[in-house]
Amino acid sequence: MKSDQIPDQDHIARYCSFRRLSDDGQPEPTAFMLKPARPAEPPEESLSVNWLEYLECPDRTSKIAEIRRIYRETFDVGAQAKIAILNVGEVCDKVRTESPDRRILQVLHDPIVTKDPSHSGIYNLRQNDRVIAELIVETVLESYSAR
Amino acid sequence: MVELDLQEKEAQEATTLYGIDDSPSGHPYIGGWLLHQRAQPVTKLEFWIVDQEGRKSSVRDWPEKKDPFTKEDLLNSEDNQVQQLIFQIRISTYIPNNERLANRLIALFNDAKEEDPDSTGISVDSIRSFYNFLQKHTYLKYPIITLTPDNDIYASWKGGQNQVFSVHFVSNEDVRFVIFKPNENNPERKIISYGTDTVDTLMKTVAFSGIWDWISDEK
Repeated sequence: MKSDQIPDQDHIARYCSFRRLSDDGQPEPTAFMLKPARPAEPPEESLSVNWLEYLECPDRTSKIAEIRRIYRETFDVGAQAKIAILNVGEVCDKVRTESPDRRILQVLHDPIVTKDPSHSGIYNLRQNDRVIAELIVETVLESYSAR
Repeated sequence: MVELDLQEKEAQEATTLYGIDDSPSGHPYIGGWLLHQRAQPVTKLEFWIVDQEGRKSSVRDWPEKKDPFTKEDLLNSEDNQVQQLIFQIRISTYIPNNERLANRLIALFNDAKEEDPDSTGISVDSIRSFYNFLQKHTYLKYPIITLTPDNDIYASWKGGQNQVFSVHFVSNEDVRFVIFKPNENNPERKIISYGTDTVDTLMKTVAFSGIWDWISDEK
């Protein structure tokens, strides 16, 4: 249901385009920064992610395959883009205990009906939250090709 | 009569200006780096200039634009500035890893343009600031370079555990930085410093932050 808090033990996937990756293809902090306002778009309020356990796939491989399918049907996927996998509890705990303002992030289910029902968001971020982005990237567990 | 398209003319001038040719075996022509330069429709007009003695001479190839300055003009102008700055980095042999840096910036620019052709690719102010920084600090190791959602340059140097120095080049002069370093008494914990500075004083500001060993090639 919309705005449900995702359990700490669950995992989320974040799309990381090529320009948010290091030379060796690892997600960098810029993958975890909010988009600013554009002429036809308001600023992002949350970081878009997908809730892996919601997909009800039996294993990580099939979950990644499903995430790739969702991406493919939703937007143009960059040839070198990656999917970063994070654990919800680790992200929130890291930021709460290490950020200078002891920030409490919320990871909430934010489904896009029919198109992307596992869509979720990391909330309570601000524009250009560099320190928070640096902390989040330290919790990336794995990354996979987005195609 | 030989008609010269304005864009061809500009390309020839650029080639002459930089003294390079665009042969496949040679150094690539700078315009060839960018994938998403869109062709602009150019309408040619003919103007006549009459000098004091009554002689007429033709001035050709002036582009006609209904709107004297469009968003497209601005983007093309910014794209050209970005190209020039990347080229400057490429030919600045005193900047360590100059070619690698230039190649990385081209790849980032092209990726941004591929996703959004109307974007600036890389912010001109940010890359200018980055270039000024590189010119001044030639002892630095090759950084990890990515683009922020604002298309600004974000450069990071990483050492071991809890060793991070990241610089966000936000404008011509301003930078924002983040430093993670280990707590000497509790190495598993980190000390976090962050702030705002100008590109010319940043390294003085962080000189005593204990980051030298993992960001510098100097011993």
